[in-house]
Amino acid sequence: MVRLVDVPEPERSVIAELECPTYEHSPFTAPAAPGDRHVALVSSAGFIVRGERPLLPRDAGYRPIASSVADRDILCSHVSTNFDRTGFQQDLNVMLPRDRLRELEHDGTIGKAADVHYAFMGATDPGDLERSARELGQSMLALGVNTVVLAPV
Amino acid sequence: MSALAHYFEDEGLATVIVALVREHVASMQPPRAMWVPYQLGRPFGAPNDKDLQTRVLRAALELLDSPESGPLLEDFLEQAPHAQGEPGWTFPGVIDSRNLQAEVQSIQPCWQQVRDRSGGSTIGISALSPEQAVEYIRTFHSDEPMSNPKGMSRIGRARFAIDDIKAYYLEAATAGEGHPSSFQLNEWFWEQTLAGAMIRDFQERARTSEDKNLRLIAGSLVPAERANSLRR
Repeated sequence: MVRLVDVPEPERSVIAELECPTYEHSPFTAPAAPGDRHVALVSSAGFIVRGERPLLPRDAGYRPIASSVADRDILCSHVSTNFDRTGFQQDLNVMLPRDRLRELEHDGTIGKAADVHYAFMGATDPGDLERSARELGQSMLALGVNTVVLAPV
Repeated sequence: MSALAHYFEDEGLATVIVALVREHVASMQPPRAMWVPYQLGRPFGAPNDKDLQTRVLRAALELLDSPESGPLLEDFLEQAPHAQGEPGWTFPGVIDSRNLQAEVQSIQPCWQQVRDRSGGSTIGISALSPEQAVEYIRTFHSDEPMSNPKGMSRIGRARFAIDDIKAYYLEAATAGEGHPSSFQLNEWFWEQTLAGAMIRDFQERARTSEDKNLRLIAGSLVPAERANSLRR
């Protein structure tokens, strides 16, 4: 489990040359001013809350991770040998920096850290994600979130 | 992640990606992305390095301050500390290698030490204890396989049981002082433990199984460079 540049072939080329979709237009939302930013984190680690049904490969759904859920109750259902898990096993923040985001709220860098963060299953076909991503987008807007930091694994 | 950025921006959310694969964001051109030079699986740099994690997150958020409408792709070049690991690192406890269950039990004190220190464990996705997970995999292809509790397919549970076994060993391996690299931790697990050998053997059987679903999971169990097929 290394940086992409260190991944042995043929896996490196498979990852680097993964077919990526293209879009006819590039949507752009003007960011809020720093102090007005209400920020959520979205991960592709397939996080679930302990006891929930794991996300399965190619599952296009997502899971909410409420701030009240303790780190020890957040599990990673994205099973893959392509990315390192030993960092996550020591510190959730290396994948989902929710403590760091709360600290940025407290020092005024952002307006608010979201009460809920979210996880999708990595390696899912991007086209399959559209419906649930748009649904989640509306859900976050309804909660006052206006900014998303996306953290792939 | 670039696709998610596309959909979220279209819905009215401003986004920024902390990207591990530069090629992907360069190709898909989301409005804002920051490439980081870290291992896949560590977008915010290093575990328990609060300052580095904060610098990465802060730098990503600063892309939102740009007056440009994108696509913006910037590089964050600060390297992670301890990437080379701990010279001479060895597992911090005493391992009983007489058999698998003895090995699992001998790992336990280190695992418990880490659990007490960190307040928890990432084990649990299979809903089996480490001893049960090892037994589940050890007997999977035998005439008397361990029964599969309700709630998960037999093969799905095997996949998660293997993940829990790896987590149990690798968490235990961080019990000592110092900062072993992920390479050192994985080298130890795959090359020096009976559990690693068991999983490699399981993968070999899964790869050539008549069961399509078992063949499908085979590739996600053992890093390619550790597979038995490369040892011959």
